[in-house]
Amino acid sequence: MDALVLKKVSKSFGDFWAVHDLNLRISEGEIFGLLGPNGAGKTTTLRMIMGIILPDSGDVRIFGRPNDLKTLQQVGYLPEERGLYRRMKVVDVLHFFGELRGMNRKERGEAIERWLERMELSSWANHKVEELSRGMQQKLQFIITVLHQPRLLILDEPFTGLDPVNTALLKDIILELHKTGATIIFSTHLMEQVEKMCDSICLINKGESVLQGSLVDIKKRYGKNTVIMQYSGEARFLVDGHLVDHFDDYGNYVEVYLKPEADPQEFLRQAVSDGVRIQRFELTEPSLNDIFIETVKNEQE
Amino acid sequence: MTSHVLAVTKREFLIRIRSKGFVIGLILFPVLIVAMIALPIWFASMKSEKQHKILVVDFSGEVFPLFRAALRDTTKTGQPLFLLQKREVPETVDVSGLKKELNGLVENKTVEGYLIIPEGIVSPASSEQSPRVEYCSKKVTDFTLIRSLSNALNEAVRILRFRKSGIDPLLVRKLLTPVSLHTFKIAAGKAEEDRGFTFGITYILALSLYMGLILYGVMIMRSVLEEKNNRVVEMIVSSVRPFRLMMGKLMGVGAVGLAQFVFWGLFLLVLMVFKAPLASLFGADESVLPSLPSVSLSVIIFFMVFFVLGFLLYATLYAAIGAMVNSEQDAQQLQTPLILFLIVPIMLMLPIMQRPDSQLAVVLSMIPFFSPIIMFMRISVLMPPVYQIALSILILVLTILAMIWLAGKIYRVGILMYGKKPNLSELLKWIRYG
Repeated sequence: MDALVLKKVSKSFGDFWAVHDLNLRISEGEIFGLLGPNGAGKTTTLRMIMGIILPDSGDVRIFGRPNDLKTLQQVGYLPEERGLYRRMKVVDVLHFFGELRGMNRKERGEAIERWLERMELSSWANHKVEELSRGMQQKLQFIITVLHQPRLLILDEPFTGLDPVNTALLKDIILELHKTGATIIFSTHLMEQVEKMCDSICLINKGESVLQGSLVDIKKRYGKNTVIMQYSGEARFLVDGHLVDHFDDYGNYVEVYLKPEADPQEFLRQAVSDGVRIQRFELTEPSLNDIFIETVKNEQE
Repeated sequence: MTSHVLAVTKREFLIRIRSKGFVIGLILFPVLIVAMIALPIWFASMKSEKQHKILVVDFSGEVFPLFRAALRDTTKTGQPLFLLQKREVPETVDVSGLKKELNGLVENKTVEGYLIIPEGIVSPASSEQSPRVEYCSKKVTDFTLIRSLSNALNEAVRILRFRKSGIDPLLVRKLLTPVSLHTFKIAAGKAEEDRGFTFGITYILALSLYMGLILYGVMIMRSVLEEKNNRVVEMIVSSVRPFRLMMGKLMGVGAVGLAQFVFWGLFLLVLMVFKAPLASLFGADESVLPSLPSVSLSVIIFFMVFFVLGFLLYATLYAAIGAMVNSEQDAQQLQTPLILFLIVPIMLMLPIMQRPDSQLAVVLSMIPFFSPIIMFMRISVLMPPVYQIALSILILVLTILAMIWLAGKIYRVGILMYGKKPNLSELLKWIRYG
């Protein structure tokens, strides 16, 4: 069953297309990454899924049904720009949102206690929201998102502003929820997280989908023509070689993108003949980051 | 889905009545009212313990005994309040020298003050000007003391003047007994004495309406702005429709206002039922009771009705304003017309209360933006015909429904719009899309 289907969804603001003819299909149980540069239309897409704004045309279906309030009860949405009632107590805020999602008092009480514990916020339950640090507020907001056990989780940049410890905590919890059957949609431009967690992605740019599919397929399509190497000596072979398309120097190592028809074996031979000492030579898939930059760049040309 | 609206209403209600400011305001107001009523009574019934020692220099030679007799005030313990001491007039009349000496006595506190009664006071030369009596003391702000002295002096001098002219002072007093005009308000077939109270209570209640409508309107606006600015609204509107969210807010904040007025109303009711024991608690006797306030139940009920209706009208508009702007500064400008609408009835309070059935009053009490306050003023002063009240309420309710419809559309679009505030044509577009 499909958790979410967008069919030719469009939204314009004035004469500017925020989202144009976007098609998406996300199967239940998937972890899906919605990627794109700033202003690509990610947040507009999510808002249309959540029924916050109405699309000009097209169709949104969640678990096969239109996205009315009843269907949306099964969705948890963490918006990108976050804020809460600053002068309310943490536990009161949670009760309020739980009640909005139709949970009764008992359900709310149990879920709130469990989640505060899991998020290491129990001791803050009776503090006002404004007394919490930014990171803690973000965790609180995440609890609000998942309190009602949604079958579909939509997280807009969930990791920004979290320290590594809390990032790991949040990641573990998301994977746990995924294991219990929740479908998860990430919207982010942090490629590293997506690469580690997502099954499929959709890359959108200027409101249109430019790349879509499972991560494995996409990487396969971009081939194994990337070399990570560590060396000492003068690297003339990088500059004047006819095999190299371009490269990124990270200081400790270089990531070299070979031309599509180039043979990595020949590239290695050339490097050796140039007289550099090679400590590491690894043939690898292109990172999602590179695919992202590459694709967006090509779009712009 | 109504449970969601209730969740919003409950939150708005609880967060406010739990706030310190609300509790303080709730208690402070009755305390102020009690203080305003009780303190003057208390002060008035307070009697001095100390006697006032006053020296009298009587150049006329005949006023003093009558003056002393006319000073009848007593202290708490029943002794005469004034200890008068007559100073013999010296042979050589050197007033400035005498004054210097007497000033010395005041300075070293032998006496509190002295009174100089001039010679020609009993038979003045002209009818326009009576010779001046001088009272000199270090303390000249004790008005009750000065009034007592002045009254006694007048009484004494008048008696003397009448005698001189061969008229019996007792007869004159009898003939000059003033007529007192008492005002009675007839309501529900009963006449009740009114000592300017109807005016006072109408004034206070109309002012409370005015302040309540602004206060709770701005409260709604702030609440909308808060949710908009911290983007909480994005998390709410996927559970509650914007229109219901707005209605939930209106009900929650309206309930806070109503709770406050009901609390105060109950307080006033208790005050009125127990006014006799309360008055004696503050040392006042039975005689002050008729001058204590009494408000009819119908006025209290109409106050609540017009508060609720006025609140719905203004709070709805305030909600729309909150949705249109991004900061309170921006809101300032937009709320000016609302405040102007509210000020008009307050400015016209005097003419309307003087002539509550004038054409101006009748017309204004039908215009929805003015009617909550003006119709209430009319009802409180002089019960208008029932059809006028009904018509006024009907027009008001229809306007409220129209405004809720309009504000709902603006609200729906506005709460998710950031950036500059809309101009008129954009606003019309919002209303069309909403």
